[in-house]
Amino acid sequence: MYNAIKKLFQYGTVTVDYPKKHIKSSYITGVPKFNYDKCMHCMKCKNSCPTGAIVLSDNDGQNGKVPAVNIDECIFCRFCEEACQNDAVYFSNIFELAQKNRNDLRAAPLIIQDEDVSVLDYELLGKQLKENVKKFYGKSLNIREIDAGSCNGCDYEINALSSPYNDIERLGIQFVASPRHADMLMVTGCVTRNMEEALIKTYNATPSPKLVVAVGACACSGGIFKNSYAGRNGVDSILPVDVYIPGCPPRPQALIYGILKAIGRS
Amino acid sequence: MVSEAIFDTINRLLSSHMLESKLLNENEIYSEVSLASHKYDCINIYNNIDCVLVDLFGNDTSEIDGSITVYYTFAVRSSNTLITLYIKLDKKGSMQISSISKEIPAASLYEREIKDMFGISFTDSADSRELVHHGNFPLKVHPLKKEFRKNTRLAFEKREQSFTSISGTGVFEVAVGPVHAGIIEPGHFRFSVAGEPIINIEAKLYYTHRGLEKLSENEDYMKVLLFSERISGDETFTNSLAYCQAIEKINGITYLPERALYSRVIFAELERICSHIGDISGLCVDTGYIFANGQFAMMRRWIQMLCEQLTGSRFLRNTNKPGGLRRDFIMDNKKLILDCLNNLYTEFNDTIEIIKNNGMFIDRVEHTGILNNSIAVDLNAVGPGGRASGINTDVRKEFPYAAYSKLKFNVPKHANCDINCRMNVKIEEVIESIGIIRQALDKMTDKGSVAVEIGKLKPYSFAFGMTESPRGENIHFVMTGADNTIMRYKVRTPSFCNWPVLCHAVNSNTLTDFPLINKSFNLSYAGNDL
Repeated sequence: MYNAIKKLFQYGTVTVDYPKKHIKSSYITGVPKFNYDKCMHCMKCKNSCPTGAIVLSDNDGQNGKVPAVNIDECIFCRFCEEACQNDAVYFSNIFELAQKNRNDLRAAPLIIQDEDVSVLDYELLGKQLKENVKKFYGKSLNIREIDAGSCNGCDYEINALSSPYNDIERLGIQFVASPRHADMLMVTGCVTRNMEEALIKTYNATPSPKLVVAVGACACSGGIFKNSYAGRNGVDSILPVDVYIPGCPPRPQALIYGILKAIGRS
Repeated sequence: MVSEAIFDTINRLLSSHMLESKLLNENEIYSEVSLASHKYDCINIYNNIDCVLVDLFGNDTSEIDGSITVYYTFAVRSSNTLITLYIKLDKKGSMQISSISKEIPAASLYEREIKDMFGISFTDSADSRELVHHGNFPLKVHPLKKEFRKNTRLAFEKREQSFTSISGTGVFEVAVGPVHAGIIEPGHFRFSVAGEPIINIEAKLYYTHRGLEKLSENEDYMKVLLFSERISGDETFTNSLAYCQAIEKINGITYLPERALYSRVIFAELERICSHIGDISGLCVDTGYIFANGQFAMMRRWIQMLCEQLTGSRFLRNTNKPGGLRRDFIMDNKKLILDCLNNLYTEFNDTIEIIKNNGMFIDRVEHTGILNNSIAVDLNAVGPGGRASGINTDVRKEFPYAAYSKLKFNVPKHANCDINCRMNVKIEEVIESIGIIRQALDKMTDKGSVAVEIGKLKPYSFAFGMTESPRGENIHFVMTGADNTIMRYKVRTPSFCNWPVLCHAVNSNTLTDFPLINKSFNLSYAGNDL
């Protein structure tokens, strides 16, 4: 007992005061950026991208068609950085990437295939309730996590939210054991065939109004497991998603940013 | 040399049945046997040579010889040799082979997997139920056959799946999962209980089956490297290492720069420390010991932070590549690593002393979840789970890779078989790992390259890559196709071996002890389901 108390005094509070103070970020792998002055338009980055996240786009209407990245598909593998001979691609330290609209993450507009169109009409219901949600969950939130076919990297990071360093309960947010107690579902993984039914049942078991957060590249777009016979391309192919948190896996602070964004606190 | 002696023994044992036999990659023996005699041959090898069945898988080689090849891989752990017997099945034929699962119990799950993925039926098998597809796949559709396109969208079917059920007065079933109360991966468990004690448990897994092996087919080898990193999030480095080693063997690269080898050791051990500390932390949560959980979670974060500072990824992603490392990550960070390890060493020992002196905690873990040695041997239990039940196996010693043969370390030997014992194995391994990293940093040269060019892949060649992951023996089989592509990537993670073992360890314990026993093995669902 004495030793345990000694330890408590030795370390005191180790919690990082993340949303208030920014964390030291020099070594964090963030979103890939392009330096268009150096770009030779050789397309090596585009060809090396394993998930097809790098596309040609003309977003600002000034540079003509230049490579840009769809962050929802990016798995942060650094192949583009290594393929570029002119150092035109570099990885920034920006990890706060969560967005409410998937198109905000993308350089090229999303093309939805017929087969991926949701057959559920929950989407409409969700939209109507969204405004109420913000009002109700201003300060406190209960989250249920569901793994729908991830590699468990995202799950470990979600687990890390309850560790002493991130201690998400200081923000009034806690993880609950049952979807019946939850206000928000955090879904990881590309939604495999075998998990589809369980995911829909869990969604239905969660009382409305509810929020759905897609965590990780797989949940946002299918990531590297895109177009597999055994799974779908992300959570939004079967459920309405409120916030997308890209990353492979997203670090705990990126998750906190995404959760707070979903309830309008960031 | 030893491999050659075994090669001769096999030639003698199977002389009349053998169609072809060769010794490749220094220690891998491949022998073709006929369909009629393969069962006899497998059992012959299993009984006469001191070996275990470590892999059994199919491979659609129709573009080479119009058949499906089935490989039975045995590991001779005492002398660093892999024996692979293979048979060729005509694709247009009956696709039936006789099962070896009654003689070699470890084969049962492999056979069920092959049945689902290739449509090969095993006659006279102990268990022939569906495994991978949960009864939602159309019959006669088998994903790993070459004619199946990987992006096929299939309709959902609904076939009822049966569980082993036990009936009697007062016996009832408890169904748990796939969505669990904690933040863990999906899996369904069916308990048959009489009051509190569990009589039988059956695990239904494959909820996270993403089709990884099929997706790797005909892809560039660098893309498959990314798949290998995403087999199981917390075993990123060791899985990619097994894959890289297989590719290096295929291309005949026997020499890598020393710096690369030592760096690989350092990262593999950092991953092991991180995983084991996470497991012990989990045991503390499941016994309601929050103080210790906080301590271990803090230490785990130190290691993850160190990994991120070195490589830019908390899970050591983007670190490995065939031929070495992606960049020189260690550079002048030696001091950073040593400081972190010194802190960890004192803090870890202090905390272990505290939890060991806590009677309530030890009461929970002692004599709980006993895994008998005979079951562990029959089902080929690996890793800390096996080592706690008297199976002394460690790939780092028996099939040395990277720089392990130049480093001194001990493999914990225990035989108490309970949760406490598995925890002790992990505690000792953490201490050993810290020692290994210190030695590696000491022996490493300060400068030098960390990678060699591997050139173009040799087409239609194959090799095994083996590593000791935090959970145990990890075997990857890689066969290349034309133009730098991969034709077959078969992954067998330690979780696949240990899941059936876990189910046996749970029997006769109470239902409330299940989470604790589960955590003491801490198996990966994603690594099993692929």
